[in-house]
Amino acid sequence: MTKYKYCLAVFILILSNFFGYGQNVVRYDLTVTDTIVNFSGKDKRAIAVNGQIPMPTLTFTEGDIAEIVVHNKLQEGTSLHWHGVYLPNKEDGVPFLTQMPIAPNSTHTYRFPIIQNGTHWYHSHSGLQEQIGMYGSLILKKRKTDPTFREGIDDLPTVPVILSEWTDIKPENVHRMLHNANDWGGIKKGTVQSYSEAIKAGHFKTKLENEWKRMLAMDVSDVYYDKFLINGKNESQLSQFKAGDKVRLRIANGGASSYFWLSYAGGKMTVVANDGNDVEPVEVDRLIIGVSETYDVVVNIPQEDTAYEFLATPEDRTKSTSLYLGNGTIQLKSRMPKLKYFEGMKMMNGMMNMDGSMDDMGMDMSFQKMDMNTVMYPEVTGSGDMEMDNQTDHAHHTMKGNAELVTLNYGMLKAPHPTTLPKDAPVRELRFELTGNMNRYVWSMDNKVLSESDKILIRKGENVRITLYNGSMMRHPMHLHGHDFRVLNGQEEYAPLKNVLDIMPMETDTIEFLANAEGDWFFHCHILYHMMAGMNRVFSYEEQEPNPYLPNKAWAYKKLQKESNQLHFMAENDFASNGNDGKAMLQNTRWSFGTEWRLGYHDDHGYESETHIGRYIGKNQWFMPFVGFDWRYRKTDGIVEKNIFGQGNTKDSRAVLSLGAEYTLPLLVTLQGEVFSDGNVRFQLMREDIPISPRIRWAFMLNTDKEYMTGLKYIVTRNLGISTHYDSDMGLGFGATLNY
Amino acid sequence: MAISVLLSFAAGKAQTKNFKTESVKIYGNCAMCEKTIEKAGNLNKEATVDWDKNTKMAIISYDSSVTSKGEILKRIALAGYDSDLFFAPDDTYANLPECCQYERAKKDAHNMESHDMQMAKDHSHHSAMTQDKNALSSIFENYFSVKDALVSTDGSLASEKAEILLKSVSEVEMDKLPMEVHMAWMKVLKDLKQDIGNIMATKDADKQRVYFKSLSKNMFEVIKVSKSESPVYYQFCSMADGGKGASWLSLEEVIKNPYYGSQMLSCGKTVETIK
Repeated sequence: MTKYKYCLAVFILILSNFFGYGQNVVRYDLTVTDTIVNFSGKDKRAIAVNGQIPMPTLTFTEGDIAEIVVHNKLQEGTSLHWHGVYLPNKEDGVPFLTQMPIAPNSTHTYRFPIIQNGTHWYHSHSGLQEQIGMYGSLILKKRKTDPTFREGIDDLPTVPVILSEWTDIKPENVHRMLHNANDWGGIKKGTVQSYSEAIKAGHFKTKLENEWKRMLAMDVSDVYYDKFLINGKNESQLSQFKAGDKVRLRIANGGASSYFWLSYAGGKMTVVANDGNDVEPVEVDRLIIGVSETYDVVVNIPQEDTAYEFLATPEDRTKSTSLYLGNGTIQLKSRMPKLKYFEGMKMMNGMMNMDGSMDDMGMDMSFQKMDMNTVMYPEVTGSGDMEMDNQTDHAHHTMKGNAELVTLNYGMLKAPHPTTLPKDAPVRELRFELTGNMNRYVWSMDNKVLSESDKILIRKGENVRITLYNGSMMRHPMHLHGHDFRVLNGQEEYAPLKNVLDIMPMETDTIEFLANAEGDWFFHCHILYHMMAGMNRVFSYEEQEPNPYLPNKAWAYKKLQKESNQLHFMAENDFASNGNDGKAMLQNTRWSFGTEWRLGYHDDHGYESETHIGRYIGKNQWFMPFVGFDWRYRKTDGIVEKNIFGQGNTKDSRAVLSLGAEYTLPLLVTLQGEVFSDGNVRFQLMREDIPISPRIRWAFMLNTDKEYMTGLKYIVTRNLGISTHYDSDMGLGFGATLNY
Repeated sequence: MAISVLLSFAAGKAQTKNFKTESVKIYGNCAMCEKTIEKAGNLNKEATVDWDKNTKMAIISYDSSVTSKGEILKRIALAGYDSDLFFAPDDTYANLPECCQYERAKKDAHNMESHDMQMAKDHSHHSAMTQDKNALSSIFENYFSVKDALVSTDGSLASEKAEILLKSVSEVEMDKLPMEVHMAWMKVLKDLKQDIGNIMATKDADKQRVYFKSLSKNMFEVIKVSKSESPVYYQFCSMADGGKGASWLSLEEVIKNPYYGSQMLSCGKTVETIK
């Protein structure tokens, strides 16, 4: 008996020794510091790791133990998330969900075994730090002895390629502006889609119908960026490659909110992996990489003395970024032509119901197979309005559409080996509708943001099957932490494995995964500003072990919820010759605290303010009941003004409470009804931002107190406009509008 | 020599100390090229380009504090003109007006390759057409030609193909058809002829599509009975015909919608596969 025990002990010792030998600890030290960068000609604050942007490429081989030591030298907390990596939950790097933020001037060590291979990346999961530099490539190499090693693919020279974007505006400000429907980005991009542009393009009716259906200008992306980057540079060259070489690009999209089109000047690209998982090779002319997705593509260098352009174009096609492969004259790839926005608007009009829901007309759309945006692509549909030099007769040359371009979609992805889940496991079915409200920049699931939803409990050992329907007007890259899911795309048992699913408007997709890693895992839209707006959920395993890094999980979850439902402030004031006109608002997902004022320069022009506290109701948030407080003073020598209901009202001095509601009518006109504590009733129609031309906005107001206002504003900069208006109380005025 | 020219220009144009002038070769061949090259290269206050169509040399002067020779030549290459730093994209070059199709600086290997592939494709198409096992196969072949013309929104081609189709319809020897095929054929023949005639009569693809809808429906009735050697896909797009939906037949499973052309090429799904 004792002998047996002894034998066992020796055996265990030998065994542990054996594994200890094979497991190679690979350590990286990462120092996070504030830095100043200049991508656009202006010095701006950014965050660098080990002095560089992007963060250093981390390379491990399957079987290694990763040990990553983070030294936080910032004035704020930080974190690092290992995107697409299977690891213990406490190493996942989501502050307030799997750990506490790494405090300023402290050190935190992430340590986990590498049990997979493929192209991944890593980034900060704290606030908006990812936008200003905290992203980097994470390459997990396959062992040569791996039975899935593919000769001619896995042995090629590889280049990590991380895509990103840069904006000179602080990301917190970008986020705030998005919530206030500030269209400065649209002006910079030339995508305001104003009435004058609509008329010029022969699309007046399209624009009118679009506004009738209460939609703001449609765009494929939300943010204006100054520069787009590959490995931190707008243009760069790798001249070590020669004719005949094949190169495997390990591409990760580390952009905060940009999808990129990828194309190559040296011929077709062969897609060999996606989200770190091998796929059957497929040749394409171009592909779109969603925010946070990864793709591995193999490209050729066809000829001597030539470098070939690998071109990444953001989906809105405003700019691009290039990597040149090879040595010699650079073979360029043609730029993607501008989007035909009004065609897209027309398509949207057709799909949008009057109640704000969308109708796919029974098309059963899924897996990017049918890209509705195609109507906007001149390279596919052909274009009659190419800007060419048409002074000479025959130069007016229309570009012919090319329907033969092979564009990758999820239907073409096929795993090289079966990926089926255990058949006898219990199945948990979940369904989510992705919901959104562009006008107020609310992004949610089932019309609930994270702060309105509990963790979703799942059990270890069950198959979780999720059906997603995108009922919003934008595409969303939905990312699941800690697991790869099967995308049920018609490839049966060879369904590809992914951890990010791009889902286009009106698509329905189904994914499934085996719940095999306990903990709390984030499931969210990877567009940074959508995530910060609350488009998140947490999958939580029942009966899990406590997390040593996060002793009070209930408290931490409240913090997490709060982070994605912050109040956003906006203010504006028109300093006009006849008075001051302005407002200030503090809003979050559902609540609005706002005050407006009109301050004349004389007593007989009067002074007034209205304060409203309201809550937005419903998915579209067209309806907002509120309570209010009005105060006004105006010297009118006792003249009583009557409203159209015959109710008297001296404006001399009045302080009243009110109850009312706002409703957004077709054409985006706000109808406001209010009952005041002195018994008076008032109805008012108003709209302030009618886009007449790219920079001119028209405003009007009309109410039952027989007051009216109309005005025009020319937008000069992000914070300044020149305006003129006529007001029934204060007369004609000119001035400057400052807004924040 | 080149250096002295360069120097003299530098002296002559020294408006600001950052202004640099260089002489570079840009490929091209006519006055129209000149215009395009200069327009693409010029940038207000940053760069001016003066190209000579005889020497193919351009004098470029630019503010080196804000731009570079590379940036200027890149813009010119993106407009279709090669230089020693950049080759123009092949599709941009191909879209230049005919008189501007200059002799390129680079060897054109992969263009040749795609040409060969195109030839091979055409060839296989021909051989398929000569086989005649099913008495109605030429009808289907010609129907697919009309469909393909509509996929690429080529109204005049569709009209031509419709004429061939009409001819083959009138050449069908009905008595050689099996009984049930004969019945199906008789039922739709009159409508077929009418629709094909209407497609022939116009070169407006949108008008042709109206008739193509009922033509396709009738073709489906026939092919359902007569069968086909290679699988034929009956496909449907609910958006076509102003939301009423319309169907068509195709030899490929991949959706290529004849009702919208390239605009909504992929709208639709296969509702039935006929083998």
